[in-house]
Amino acid sequence: MTKEKENIEKLLEESEAKKNEYFAGWQREKADFINYKQKELTRLQELLISVKEGFALELLPVIDNFSLAEKTIPEAEKGNNSIKGLILIKKQLEGVLKSLEIEEIDTLNQKFDPNLHEAIEEIEGEEGMIIEEIEKGYKIKDKIIRPAKVKIGKGNNN
Amino acid sequence: MTKVIGIDLGTAITKFASIVNGEPKALDNREGSILTPSIVAQTKGGERVVGILAQRQAITNPVNTISGVKRFIGRRFSDAEVQKELKLLPYETRERSDGGVEVKMADKWLTPIEVSAMILQKVKADAKDKLGEEIKNVVITCPANFDDSQRKATKAAGEIAGFNVLRVINEPTAAALAYGFGKKDAKKILAYDFGGGTFDVTILDVSPDTVEVLATGGEAHLGGNDFDQIIINWLLEEFKKDQGIDLSKDALALQRLKEAAEKAKTELSSSFEASINLPFITSNQDGPKHLEYKLSRSQFDSMTKELVVRSIERVRKTLEEIKINKNEIDEVILVGGTTLIPAVRDAVKEFFGKEPNKSINPEEVVAIGAAIEAEILTAKEEGRTPEGDIKSVLLLDVLPLSLGIETLGSVNTVMIAKNTTIPTSNSQVFSTAVDNQTSVEINVLQGERPMATDNRSLGRFILDGIAPAPRGMPQVEVKFDIDASGILTVVATDKATKKVQSIKVEGSIGLSKEDIEKMKKEAEIHAAEDQKKKELIEARNLADNLIYTCEKTLKDNADKVQETDKNDIEAKVAELKKLKESDSIDDIKKKTEELSQAIQKVGAQIYQQQQQQEPQEKKEEPQNDAPEAETEKE
Repeated sequence: MTKEKENIEKLLEESEAKKNEYFAGWQREKADFINYKQKELTRLQELLISVKEGFALELLPVIDNFSLAEKTIPEAEKGNNSIKGLILIKKQLEGVLKSLEIEEIDTLNQKFDPNLHEAIEEIEGEEGMIIEEIEKGYKIKDKIIRPAKVKIGKGNNN
Repeated sequence: MTKVIGIDLGTAITKFASIVNGEPKALDNREGSILTPSIVAQTKGGERVVGILAQRQAITNPVNTISGVKRFIGRRFSDAEVQKELKLLPYETRERSDGGVEVKMADKWLTPIEVSAMILQKVKADAKDKLGEEIKNVVITCPANFDDSQRKATKAAGEIAGFNVLRVINEPTAAALAYGFGKKDAKKILAYDFGGGTFDVTILDVSPDTVEVLATGGEAHLGGNDFDQIIINWLLEEFKKDQGIDLSKDALALQRLKEAAEKAKTELSSSFEASINLPFITSNQDGPKHLEYKLSRSQFDSMTKELVVRSIERVRKTLEEIKINKNEIDEVILVGGTTLIPAVRDAVKEFFGKEPNKSINPEEVVAIGAAIEAEILTAKEEGRTPEGDIKSVLLLDVLPLSLGIETLGSVNTVMIAKNTTIPTSNSQVFSTAVDNQTSVEINVLQGERPMATDNRSLGRFILDGIAPAPRGMPQVEVKFDIDASGILTVVATDKATKKVQSIKVEGSIGLSKEDIEKMKKEAEIHAAEDQKKKELIEARNLADNLIYTCEKTLKDNADKVQETDKNDIEAKVAELKKLKESDSIDDIKKKTEELSQAIQKVGAQIYQQQQQQEPQEKKEEPQNDAPEAETEKE
């Protein structure tokens, strides 16, 4: 009788241990899944930012071309209302960037910094300084979407 | 568990990959790109920059911007090939006391090993950023034709950067590893590596224990840049012809052309035409000039044909050198960004008469293979299973073939799709196909074909005792449940009478690999005709439903329908009944649509009459005047 009882108790103990093991495994799996979902959410948010960036990268050349067009407008025609309207559209586009928290990178009177700027050419001017901006650069917070394309001064020695 | 990375240390571009959540994956650097230019510079401000930053300042600082040192690593200064390369460099070089090469960066003489170490240091920092921990264990790749001294130098560069270099492996070997070739049986593999600046071909004999390089070949200066240059030249020529202006002297215009050419090349990989629009590219006394051209894929292909032919010729020669017939190559792997060009892929496919391996991004495949090797080596050292080999301690199977039931018109309605992880279950409600139907037969199917008869029947059973009702009214819930050991239970329940009938299929999942492959292949082969058949059945079912609804509407509302409408509908019903036995899907669809419109009109009339005649009484439910395709069970 006691032997049988012992056996049953042993079996019960084993079953208990197994149950605990399986239950823990189940909990772990469930937790893994919840964590996975959370991670997916973060990933999704990152994805949204990169979509924003991707969209900006597609839009930026259009704004660049608008800027180029603006530069070629003869002084005499700047008062023309149709031309004024077009310039307003450019401002509207720039507004879209602002609403996406996209900012322009400063270049005027700045020292050349490869973190922010890409050098296209060296020209007469103070060494290491940005002399002319060719294409605007943009950033979201501290992240560079596109560096500004600039011409750099080569100094007097060269 | 130690995290590891694999590094593809390239001549122009370096990439790295790791195992993330069990999957090998190429990782971004801090600048947000997978591609890190293999360039190191000391800026005029005295700061050391690596990668894209070094590239951005290169033009203002060419003598202190070091690129392409891979061409000199572990080689002798006096080597004829090295001498040839040295002539093309903007920075200073000299012979080292031990006969090697030294490059000068900001008054300091450095060995190619030290410069490579600087690139690898950046990779180390970027990987730490990305993976959240310091990385020690790495595998670095090198070209198959690197000799012992070049390999030792590559390893040394890794060690100087602070890595524990587990191994230096061949780039094509890494690519073969990424695809998992040679795990079971020996295979002859050809890696076709068309990068940005170089073209390499390597033939390997890969088996579970050994990798033997049978032959290597290539061209040191043939790559994606040449494709870009061809587009640029074409644009320059066209513009000169149309506008009489030579843009080749205009640094700014050239820069814009270069970017546009790269973009057009990329676009042409997925579309058949690319527009190149560069407004205000230049101006003369007449005012601003714009550049606007369209480039079609076929135009691009014929312009660049010569480059593709050159690469294929190189493959042919390399095969000839070791007297191997191209038919003896078991697998062809595409490596390098240039293999994304459709014409390149087509040329390789045509030459070998078989589909090359391209499912892993060819720009990442080498780094991914290196990461896999690093993980395998580290796991061995730590006495564990490599991550990615098993997902967790709990081994979960996936369903190899879809499971479904046969529904109206002998259609296979999938209940659990293939590749679903088990255990799992799914239920769906079905109905009857004819009036007063009192039983339904459940035929359990396994396979991918849309028609029931083309699949394997795992068993069938009958649920009877359904209360007589018009078709579509009874609700029979069918539930599929597979447990972890692959035992399938199918339960059918009549929701009205609660009558239940079920079947248990054991071992149904355990088909042999060959059978599964055969069934999948068949599904692929017949995909197009099956789809047509399915569409035809669906169109017929839709027509059938509509005929039923029309006849019922006319019968139930005989007093409310005008004679002309009734005749019109009856004629259309007769026509559709005859037509639905034909094979013409379009005709059936067209006539069904006509009849549907006619009956909708009648339905609206009946509804209006009812509202006028019985404004006080409880309104009758409107008839099904827009029948939908129902999932019904015969």
